[in-house]
Amino acid sequence: MARVVVDPITRIEGHLRIEAVIEGGKITDAYSSGTMVRGFEKILKGRDPRDAWAFVERACGVCTTVHALASVRTVEDALKISVPKNAELIRNIMFCTQMVQDHVVHFYHLHALDWVDIVSALKADPAATSSLAQSISNWPKSSPGYFSDLQKRLKTFVDSGQLGIFANGYWGHPAYKLPPEANLMAVAHYLEALEWQKEIVKVHTIFGGKNPHPNYLVGGVPCSINLEDVNAINTERLNHVGKLIKDAMTFVNQVYIPDLMAIAGFYKDWGAIGGGLRNYMAYGDLPTAGYNQPESFKFPRGAILDRNLNEVYDVNGRDGEEIKEYISHSWYKYTVGDEKGLHPWNGETEFNFTGPKPPFEQLDVEGKYSWLKTPRWKDHPMEVGPLARVLVAYARGNAEVKEVVTETLAKLAVPVDALFSTLGRTAARGLETKLVVNWLKGFYDDLLANIKSGQVSTFTREKWDPSTWPAECEGVGMTEAPRGALAHWIRIKDGKIDNYQLVVPSTWNASPRDAKGQRSAYEESLVGTPVANSEQPVEILRTIHSFDPCLACAVHLYDPEGRHIHRVEFN
Amino acid sequence: MSNTNQCDVLILGIGNMLMGDEGVGVHIIEKLSSIELPEGVECLDGGTGSFLLLEPMQRARRVVLIDATIDGQPPGTVTRLTPKYAKDYPRTLTAHDIGLKDLLDAFYLLGDPPEVTLYAVSIAPLQEMRIGVSPEVERSVGRIVELVLEDVGIGAPA
Repeated sequence: MARVVVDPITRIEGHLRIEAVIEGGKITDAYSSGTMVRGFEKILKGRDPRDAWAFVERACGVCTTVHALASVRTVEDALKISVPKNAELIRNIMFCTQMVQDHVVHFYHLHALDWVDIVSALKADPAATSSLAQSISNWPKSSPGYFSDLQKRLKTFVDSGQLGIFANGYWGHPAYKLPPEANLMAVAHYLEALEWQKEIVKVHTIFGGKNPHPNYLVGGVPCSINLEDVNAINTERLNHVGKLIKDAMTFVNQVYIPDLMAIAGFYKDWGAIGGGLRNYMAYGDLPTAGYNQPESFKFPRGAILDRNLNEVYDVNGRDGEEIKEYISHSWYKYTVGDEKGLHPWNGETEFNFTGPKPPFEQLDVEGKYSWLKTPRWKDHPMEVGPLARVLVAYARGNAEVKEVVTETLAKLAVPVDALFSTLGRTAARGLETKLVVNWLKGFYDDLLANIKSGQVSTFTREKWDPSTWPAECEGVGMTEAPRGALAHWIRIKDGKIDNYQLVVPSTWNASPRDAKGQRSAYEESLVGTPVANSEQPVEILRTIHSFDPCLACAVHLYDPEGRHIHRVEFN
Repeated sequence: MSNTNQCDVLILGIGNMLMGDEGVGVHIIEKLSSIELPEGVECLDGGTGSFLLLEPMQRARRVVLIDATIDGQPPGTVTRLTPKYAKDYPRTLTAHDIGLKDLLDAFYLLGDPPEVTLYAVSIAPLQEMRIGVSPEVERSVGRIVELVLEDVGIGAPA
């Protein structure tokens, strides 16, 4: 029995390590462990709740803006503040921008190389690549000369021995199915996406003042609207945002979606691999009538159990019996005992490390084996992320989502069940990007219309002063990070933070088993995954990457005797 | 509002300010931001911004990167490097984890990569969640600020 250890090392959301047991060419069991302690909760206690966003924004290098959003919302929820319409629209614009940018970057720069063989691209015929590109899209960069020039640059790069970003792929692995021309086209778009993504994030700089840590504000947004003022959100800046949104729509519709469909067509077998859990949950986001009206959200809120798309359950972050965190297999201790679950308002962050001292070969998975707590919804393990959002919206009868899902399934000629898979997760990410980029344009148009009608307010001062606050109050701020449901819970006492708890998407997906022994999403999704060659476990990368862990990773491989074979790093 | 034009030198501090010495790069940017820098020299608190840092890095002719490294040397040791390719960076440079240096290679494929100077500050492997750096690393901060200022052609402040 080979034990494969995937030990991603990162500081973005905490280090993550996966140990998988392989028998007869298939994964039979898997363990997911967060190996870096988090303690934001401790840093926040006693601080001014209005400052919390600036600290939690540092929780993740990629999702800075959604952590800040969750934070200002949780304070507003506690203090019963409703933000002005312009603030809601600008927050939605920031949210959509981040999701579109993050999903494109995930597809091309963190996931594509699991499906695209860079070295094979050197064998492509540029003229045939041009025909292929022109057959799937109107994107103008598609001439034979363009691909021929790129191929030459790629060849020089590969010949120099400086593979760099491409050094860690399993090039030539039989699991790569794309013809050389599709590979070359994908490499071209990998580089074009890199150029494009740095433009779209300027939307955050315009509304948030700076990037990568844009400013947020409890009660609204920290930018003023004045079409004539050089220092405010003026006509010039709004025009710039409009141009960036237009370019984003073009890139998503002419590059990302056609590539996704073309690549998915070669990997339909992955529509039956990597499904994992049968339960999905989305907190939803993009309010159109206030945060307290979830029925107005573009992304609906809800939970699905046992893949039953005929029933969607409501999710209530304030209900002490719904969302609870367990620590039976996590390096913490609770005052109520380690087998009990705690709602985040009563959450405790008391460390209790019982694991081995690094470096170590294998974790003791019978006991505590992770720094991640194990969140459960009504004691069910839930998958969160693009697939969960799309399924919840589909099951809620959202017409836009139903349309793109049905159209895509028909185009790929795969059944609805293919959604519950690695391919389904990757496809769902693309489909929601297509919708989100349209919504982004819609929110922008609404903002312009609002400003034209004379509404320029972006902030409400009511409740800014702590003397207007109750002595004690509680709030929850729920949102959707690109990689899934994210929420912050706060308890405010005498104007200061008394308790602050974050439950991040990676905690839902990457957590260890719960007290009942139920696996979480990563662990469950790997069970049954075929691994053709345990020295080159590209299959594990495909499934784990389909969740979009914001992690850089290292794979350790062990032979059946537990000896270390080699270590492969991947991003 | 940050500049969107080409800049000559970008001083980029990387790290997580909530992770003690790991945030030394950001800590140094805070110090530098109180000093008047000549036109064309910009400072940026990069946090752990990964892909979000490509845009500022691409519009710079030269990047002076400040990051923590776990290389076994005593905390506070400063090493100046001029890496060209991803493989030239210390393996345990914390920025490695976010794939940033790997993406620097993509600049070579895109053409016209910036010149990178790296100040790697040694830190201890285990960092607690805490704001601010340890006394060992704090002792080197003034020296690093001087080195960076000299590097970009400005004498150290009096």
